[in-house]
Amino acid sequence: MNKFILKYAYPLTFALLVLLAWVVYQRLSTGIIPLVVAAVIVWPTATFLFIYFWPRLILGVYKRAALVKGFGNGPIPVNTLYTQPQALFADPLHVSLPPGSSQLMSYGTNLDTLYVVGVLDLTKGPQILHVPDMAGRYYAVQFTDPADGTNFAYVGKRTTGTKAADYLISGPGWKETMPQGMKHISSSNNSVLVIGRVFVENDSDIPTAYGLAKQILIMPPSQSQ
Amino acid sequence: MANILAWLSSSGVVQGIIIGAVLAFITFQILARIKVTKINGWSTLYGFGVPGNGMLLRAASYRLFPGPINVPAEAMYWTTSVGGVGNYIMHFPPGGIPQSDAFWSLTMSDAKNDFVANPINRYLVGDRSGLVQNPDGSTDIYLQNTAPTGHESNWLPAPSGKFILWLRVYIPTAVILDGSYQVPPVVKVK
Repeated sequence: MNKFILKYAYPLTFALLVLLAWVVYQRLSTGIIPLVVAAVIVWPTATFLFIYFWPRLILGVYKRAALVKGFGNGPIPVNTLYTQPQALFADPLHVSLPPGSSQLMSYGTNLDTLYVVGVLDLTKGPQILHVPDMAGRYYAVQFTDPADGTNFAYVGKRTTGTKAADYLISGPGWKETMPQGMKHISSSNNSVLVIGRVFVENDSDIPTAYGLAKQILIMPPSQSQ
Repeated sequence: MANILAWLSSSGVVQGIIIGAVLAFITFQILARIKVTKINGWSTLYGFGVPGNGMLLRAASYRLFPGPINVPAEAMYWTTSVGGVGNYIMHFPPGGIPQSDAFWSLTMSDAKNDFVANPINRYLVGDRSGLVQNPDGSTDIYLQNTAPTGHESNWLPAPSGKFILWLRVYIPTAVILDGSYQVPPVVKVK
């Protein structure tokens, strides 16, 4: 259905506009004023709402895909990270993708990086992100606010280097003392999308890359000491 | 129930709301398209995911790339769809390969955005796929269904029909981030 709409977007839009024009034409004889007033009020209002809520809508779908279907290993529990399995990465044609899995993990085809995906819920307190020593390998962990789609923080080769480290991710209003030896990432939303990407050089590099990706972890502060 | 339906179908207000909503969706699509940069057939967007990038840019971002992708400083993404049967080529002039502090890739997908099965199990080409330069320092990438004789190393297998390409450059250099770098067009071989 979606593909059909995309393929014939222009003719469908045109047909819809013709239909609406016909409705307006029919109205002309019986009083057009209520229709015009309603349309003039709704048009700019709904345009603003579409623009404002579009990222939230798209990321809501992504979040639900992660939490309800998962990307190959069942639903991803809140405050845990899913690491894309080696077998799935080595199988780009998705022959072995378990039924019921969502294919939304990456938009567009991607074979450069292993994915690490999770959804954080910080209402009950902060969470800790642990990253291992990546020994110079390219990786990045992005923190995305599902309300507006901005990536408000990054951990990874470009921003923090490739040494092992721990980061405390706190929600709005958190004011406790930072544990020693940890860096702070502050989120203005209690819900956070975590997307990690670990570079894979070639097929023979998959086990090494996976071994490192698997060590990117989310845990509660009580477990990190 | 029947009364409500009759009222709905005959109410000018309800019809006005529907018309307003449809016009709003079309207006949103047009406005979101303004922020997209399309050069040589490649669509991209500068500012994806950057905090403070503006409401309209955020909407345009998730309209063009409906998923949580990277900010430009981490990775730039371009996409194009190529229609029709035939052999296609991408010609990078000398020094025209994307400049990156990490890596880059050109990934092939079919019209449904799935990988394309092929006899050599190659789904992307890039900085680590052994692309061979022409004698003048330029690089050609062959996008076609059957292997190009003598240019197998620069072959990115395509389906027999329409396809979609993804170009990703991780940690792109300044010439990419400031918009002065242009991705060469995908040209049909005559």
